[in-house]
Amino acid sequence: MDALFAALAHRDRRKMLDLIQTMPGCSVQDVAKYFDCSRIMVMKHLDVLSQAELVISRKVGRRRELFFNAVPIQRIYDRWTTEYSRFWATKALDLKLAIESRNQKDPP
Amino acid sequence: MTTSETARSAGVTQQVSKVWINAPIQQVWDVLTKEGEVLPFFFGSVMETSGLKPGAQLRMRTPNGKFTGVVGEILECEPPYRFTHTFKFTNFDDPPCVVTYELKEVDGGTEFVLISGNVPLGTKTEKNMAQGGPFICDVLKSVIETGRPSFGKRMILGIIKVMGPFSPARCRSEKWPLDRRVAPAPSSK
Repeated sequence: MDALFAALAHRDRRKMLDLIQTMPGCSVQDVAKYFDCSRIMVMKHLDVLSQAELVISRKVGRRRELFFNAVPIQRIYDRWTTEYSRFWATKALDLKLAIESRNQKDPP
Repeated sequence: MTTSETARSAGVTQQVSKVWINAPIQQVWDVLTKEGEVLPFFFGSVMETSGLKPGAQLRMRTPNGKFTGVVGEILECEPPYRFTHTFKFTNFDDPPCVVTYELKEVDGGTEFVLISGNVPLGTKTEKNMAQGGPFICDVLKSVIETGRPSFGKRMILGIIKVMGPFSPARCRSEKWPLDRRVAPAPSSK
């Protein structure tokens, strides 16, 4: 759990997860395009995400393909929600998003 | 073009889930491929095959055998490392996906990777596969390590069990016998 939360505690790494989730099978270059920092830095971040099992890196021929792994997130979710709280929390979140969508910004 | 872009332009996508299980690889394989027994990680269904070998047919049926939720054909079977089969939901018209289970000995336990390939984009199948991957990984891990699914997952499994008798008629098992070949592998592009 410590490695998981440490991996999530960085804005760029969260953005990388967003990118990998929307582009399953993308390469390190595909991800690096969206960041100003060096490729080495991007790889370091991806390594932290892989250690926490949030990112799965698969070798396909000579390429490396990146995938988002939802299992660790599922584990956080299961630990702190019940059937009842998940229903009401979803309602509260929907309300918040509906109100906030007017002045939309990037997710933190 | 990257592999993912090629896949997307063909209207399919790939999903991957991974979990580390604190158990020997053979035990994970045996639990994964067990036939004739209720498998909580496969949403409480019972697996039936016409043989654990390539070319054989595979079915996921309700415990009473009345309904069949998933049908497929086994493509690869290399115990205890790799198991691949086509995968089609009987209640949707979507074409079959290809599901691969990869097992690897890592850190004194087993690394379990589930790959859902050829998943048709924007379909009910895509949505179900995206939810199914993490569910299967998580429940398989709990079942092997602790003997049962976690509390939250037991609730979900309870609901699925209650809903079983309300399955649509097209899922009735007599429509999906083991000796009829269905869901052949999608032609490689």
